[in-house]
Amino acid sequence: MDENLQEDWLDARLRDEAAYIDDGGFTAHVVQKLPAHRVRHSLRAVILLGVTVVASVVAYLLSGGGWFIAEGVTRFALLPLPVIWLCAAGATVVVMVGGLAAAMSKTGGRLR
Amino acid sequence: MALTDADLVARVLLDDDHHAFAELVRNHQSSVRGLLRQLVRADVSLADDLAQETFLRAYKNLRSFRGEARFSTWLYRIAYNCFREEARKRKELVGIHEAQLEAQHDPQTTDPALRHDLVRALQLLPLHERTAVLLCCQNGLSHDEAARVLEIPLGTVKTNVLRGREKLKRSLAAWGPN
Repeated sequence: MDENLQEDWLDARLRDEAAYIDDGGFTAHVVQKLPAHRVRHSLRAVILLGVTVVASVVAYLLSGGGWFIAEGVTRFALLPLPVIWLCAAGATVVVMVGGLAAAMSKTGGRLR
Repeated sequence: MALTDADLVARVLLDDDHHAFAELVRNHQSSVRGLLRQLVRADVSLADDLAQETFLRAYKNLRSFRGEARFSTWLYRIAYNCFREEARKRKELVGIHEAQLEAQHDPQTTDPALRHDLVRALQLLPLHERTAVLLCCQNGLSHDEAARVLEIPLGTVKTNVLRGREKLKRSLAAWGPN
């Protein structure tokens, strides 16, 4: 009983010791030192998308209306069939490896 | 209705709301500064510098707060890490400035002589026992929460609190209830 009384007394004294410390400008000082407002994630996405669209339009105009794409497709279509198959298989492997790597990095290396 | 810590944290994360973070600082500054003052043996300016560093780190790392523990527990952990880094830098911490501590203290119901003895008894405890006693008995953390703050096993926290309390009781035996 005495032991419990002593414990309660000690806890009460320790809590008394933790008296409230007046702010006294502390909060204002901390807020003043905070880094400047971060660009919001949604805003960041808009900026990235905007820059991509502008860059695409500029590239399209500078390349003479994208004629090189049509020319590239035509040249590719004229290649022998085995080469086209080989290119398709290579592209499939690259995409699969990329997907696998992304999945592994998300799960910390475990695939289950 | 006052916003909870979780609401304020969400506002800071979503809108980078400095006002919400200021509210968090206002709510917790007293306990964090109080703990650090006790840890650095009452060097008020050093404790406040560390408290400021604590809140700035909290702001920068707020995304790592997942709400599994109380926000105050998370803050204590950062504060304790700041203190440890400072202690490592200085090797030994500043001496006892009891007069400074007492001048800062709000005069309450406690007898000044008892306060003096309690402060001195606390300062004489080894750091690991003092920290455990301050976190658990003064700041109301559970043993489990204190173990997370100090990054030590639960059993060690319990032992440190027990030993620290025993020493405090012996030091303050003359003041205790009859």
